Amino acid sequence: MKQIDEADIIGRVLGGDREAFADLVEAYKGPVFRLAFRMTGSAQDADDLSQQIFLRAFETLGRFRRGERFFPWLYTVALNVIRSHLRRSKALPEAGTGHGAPEAEDPRGNPADAAAGRERSRRIQGYLLRLNPSVREILVLRFYEGMSFEDIAGLTGNTPGGVKMKAYRGLEKIRVMMEKDGFADDEARR
Amino acid sequence: MDSDDNIEKIIGEIDGQGPSPEDIEHDPRRKALAGIARMMREATAPEPPADLGERVMDRIRSYRPTPWRALREALLRPCTVSFDPIRALRAPVTGQECSFYFIMVGIFYAVLGTILLAGLHGLGAYPGAPDWVRWQPPIAIVTAGCMVAVGLYLLKDVKSALRAARIWALVYLGFALLNGVFVPLEWNVPVSAYVSLVSTLIGLPTGFFLIRTIQNCGKRYV
Repeated sequence: MKQIDEADIIGRVLGGDREAFADLVEAYKGPVFRLAFRMTGSAQDADDLSQQIFLRAFETLGRFRRGERFFPWLYTVALNVIRSHLRRSKALPEAGTGHGAPEAEDPRGNPADAAAGRERSRRIQGYLLRLNPSVREILVLRFYEGMSFEDIAGLTGNTPGGVKMKAYRGLEKIRVMMEKDGFADDEARR
Repeated sequence: MDSDDNIEKIIGEIDGQGPSPEDIEHDPRRKALAGIARMMREATAPEPPADLGERVMDRIRSYRPTPWRALREALLRPCTVSFDPIRALRAPVTGQECSFYFIMVGIFYAVLGTILLAGLHGLGAYPGAPDWVRWQPPIAIVTAGCMVAVGLYLLKDVKSALRAARIWALVYLGFALLNGVFVPLEWNVPVSAYVSLVSTLIGLPTGFFLIRTIQNCGKRYV
């Protein structure tokens, strides 16, 4: 990701230069798409939602406070759009399979390992989609996106303790589901 | 069920803090939780479609906000306003500050109009009440509306709104003076003196203050 001066870009966009917004889209389309994909399990939905998220961010950019970090603000917008989508569509867990999105190149050199890794990712994605969205978003932000519990608490309006509790419950639910499917022993305990 | 302390510990372990993996070897459940977290961390990331950015920009280029959306965003835009009326009389003020004073005056007239509306309710039955007195509540409410509208205009585009704001402030000042004189002439009862007093004592200083603020705002943007 190239280094960009977000404050300068936002100032230009607010001053009427719409094209300047392209730099923000370019810088953040990957994380936004991944978040939407992890939350919905559908590449098509993630594509539509990513467009909606950036459009909403553009519409509401005037509310962005100078001095704030842009990325957490964009994530807040993204989570709101995704939550509305999930409420509207009542997205069924089984609808998301994790298929459909081009995967990034797997760092593991062995093709067999890479294929196994992809399969594990899909299975975990399937379990993730069976969780309540409020728990799912915490697991996605923490374990896929690598955000701190404090930052997640700021984004989701929970306390850090509450976020940790939800993360634990989410992991525990996935563990129980995996155990029922006979998946826990051979994969999770590697 | 685990206690809060235990959950904190388990989450710490999952995050790679606290006991080493060997320490949780004997606990299959904790090991499984750590394994799930690890699988998520190691999961390969899906890539967005190559043309996603271009499609987003196409939508942004053709985006036209509805009037309602534009108004909503203008109102929700964060702004820092220093409330210092004495300074506003002496030094250049920002458009936001000027807008704030207009909106505050508008809110005052909205409240005054509502009180007058409630207080003068049924006055139509009073044989001596002239039309001009009965019109006081709507006049106050219309004044409120105009003040808020000018305030929002200043907020949206201060440079082009300054002229309209100056004209409106002069009209307001003249009308406040006229109203203060006209009511006691029309209706010779004690309540008319009260209306006259309110109109003059509030209207004149407010009008002069707004005109002065606009002048100071103009100095900043010329």
